[in-house]
Amino acid sequence: MKILAKLLGAAVLAGVLATAVPAMAAGTGLIFVSNEKSNEVIVFNPDFTRKTSISTSHRPRDMHFNKAHTLLYVACGDDDTIDVIDVAKLKVVNSIPTGPSPEMFELSGDEKSFYVSDEEDSRIEKIDIASGTSVQDVATGAEPEGVQLSEDGKTLYATSEVADMVHVINTTTGAVTKNIVVGTRPRRFVLTPDGKELWVSCELSSEVDVIDRATNTVTAQLTFVPPGFREEDVTPVGMAITKDGSKVILTLGRADHVAIVDAHTKKVLSYVLVGKRAWGVGMSKDDKTAIVTNGLSDDITVIDMQTMKPIKSIPAGRTPHSVVIDD
Amino acid sequence: MTSRRFTTLLAATSLAAIALCGTAEAKVKLPAASTDPNLASRPVQNVKVGYLGLVNDPRNAPDLTYTDIQLAPPDDPVTGAQLGIADEAIVANANGFNLSLDVQKAADIADLVAKVKAMAAGGERFIILDLPDDLVDQLAAQTKGIDVTFLNASAHDDYLRDRCYPNLLHTAASNRMLEDALVQYLKTRSWNKVLVLQGPLPADKAIADAFKASANRLRLNVVDTRTFTLSRTPDSQENNNALLVTGGIDYDVIFVADTEGEYGRYLPYSTQLARPVVGTAGLVPAEWHWSWDRDGATQVTSRFLKATDRRREMTGTDWSTWMAAKAISDAYGRSPDISTPDQIDSYLKSQDIEMDGSKGFALNFRPWDGQLRQPIVLATDNAVIAAPPLPGFLHQTNDLDTLGEDEPEHACR
Repeated sequence: MKILAKLLGAAVLAGVLATAVPAMAAGTGLIFVSNEKSNEVIVFNPDFTRKTSISTSHRPRDMHFNKAHTLLYVACGDDDTIDVIDVAKLKVVNSIPTGPSPEMFELSGDEKSFYVSDEEDSRIEKIDIASGTSVQDVATGAEPEGVQLSEDGKTLYATSEVADMVHVINTTTGAVTKNIVVGTRPRRFVLTPDGKELWVSCELSSEVDVIDRATNTVTAQLTFVPPGFREEDVTPVGMAITKDGSKVILTLGRADHVAIVDAHTKKVLSYVLVGKRAWGVGMSKDDKTAIVTNGLSDDITVIDMQTMKPIKSIPAGRTPHSVVIDD
Repeated sequence: MTSRRFTTLLAATSLAAIALCGTAEAKVKLPAASTDPNLASRPVQNVKVGYLGLVNDPRNAPDLTYTDIQLAPPDDPVTGAQLGIADEAIVANANGFNLSLDVQKAADIADLVAKVKAMAAGGERFIILDLPDDLVDQLAAQTKGIDVTFLNASAHDDYLRDRCYPNLLHTAASNRMLEDALVQYLKTRSWNKVLVLQGPLPADKAIADAFKASANRLRLNVVDTRTFTLSRTPDSQENNNALLVTGGIDYDVIFVADTEGEYGRYLPYSTQLARPVVGTAGLVPAEWHWSWDRDGATQVTSRFLKATDRRREMTGTDWSTWMAAKAISDAYGRSPDISTPDQIDSYLKSQDIEMDGSKGFALNFRPWDGQLRQPIVLATDNAVIAAPPLPGFLHQTNDLDTLGEDEPEHACR
């Protein structure tokens, strides 16, 4: 049905490189990688050749498209802005001011505002895009990072890296309604498509905590230790989930691997060796290809999600952080 | 993994829960809390965390030279402890505790002992110590019967770790840990031949001895140990003139042990052979350096700068007081059993605790000597060159235990 249609229409990123098919859907198939230390978003073609580099404000990190994929928003931590990239022109066309050190953000369902974690100010801000003003302020534990809106936009989940908590925030009132204690240095989220689970990566306790959304309680702690590693070598950060909710891909940071996990049984299907300090991960719309940013080897690794093998690694800028695909 | 996290805590989200007591001069500001009136809260117990320093601590000299160069921090590292309490306030609060720091200073050992007795009588179970080595030693010895746990945040001597005081933990790295870190790095560069230069102070000798023990473990070759003096009289030139002090022998690298810092700061680029200087000058091992930009370190440094009104960069000792306060807060916030202070204490000392020092590893205290396991940064003036434990230096249980006295080497003395 819907998923099948998407599969048919989506750009095929994986498979044989020489015959990589150009995008047939609305998207261009371009791959965007933010680079914290070289202050640029590098754009790769669907065949993984380098197309261009877009200069941004300082320390670009999290990125999100608008629904039409005409604009790409980039949080720039050292200039306290969210830059707006015009996807057709591949240029920054606007900068929206934020609080100190924006790291991760979510776009509201009506696309009129952002929810931004201000890493150095211990708060989540709601910023009205049109006016560039902060319209709501939620105090969090220190170093807020991951933010995740619920499907209906009524709840915002946010991690505090220092407080080791997930804050559950009512977006109407801006109040924290529950604090869920999770593992050490919680980073990022994924929501399962069935709406039942919220996964949280906890970098320093080497685990992913699964939160049952009905009760807001941690129901499972998953650990991932590739062969030859110890638990403390594993620092999970980035996550992405397939649209059918069957597989989660998780970056393991210092362990230089990603884990591909069966989302239902929570068992590891495969560990894939990537570059140094595997950090961010993005998935193509057809769920066939995942791309991982390697923060300490300044490259990205392309993974075929069906064979669960790495296809190739490609040089990026300095300290690649996040990756998104326009497909 | 422990089962602690399966307990989801309904929490009051009072973030501004920190009340600073005592003589604190620095400000730690936190935003006001966003609380929902429907959020169930339970009675919160106020807990005072002690902080004990020395009046006119000689280690915090404002400056030693007439050009205003600061060889030592201008003031004590209490801001680190305040920041540690503030950072973890929400966690302790979620478990029903509201922590505040009680900053006390004493003039001598008798005064210190009296202060500890009074603090313990006032209900303080944990006291962060910012004291020179000999006073830590005397204080721990003279307060054995008192139910307090000390966290030593600024004394580095190894003998304190070998005293085996049951209630003494250390967030300050031992000299041996610092030098093991440096030696790992020298080994990766094959800088095997080391000339050791040692100052006149007992602390200089302690550092040089720790380095030599580390060098021995990893089979570096200490080609000579020489002493230096600040005096420039003609008859002391053999021990003052840098060309003479570093001449007449071949080596790959110079290790300098100069806690005062006045000789060491002139040593790099003054040596007879074109060789790097490491130790207390040049490439320096420490718990922290402001230029470390991984593992969330930048945010900690930045909060510290803000809390000190940008008076100074965060040092290793600032990190150690921060970590001590954070460890105590973490124990209150995370202990699965909070029925008594003893339970909090035993959780703090357990191997289940996983503390975040913004250095990329989960940290806890070694059961044999109470030393906090931690990575060490090796830094120049403005860059961290390496952060041991380095790849390839392996340990059978925990690679952090390649730094410092390991369990088989440890004996109570």
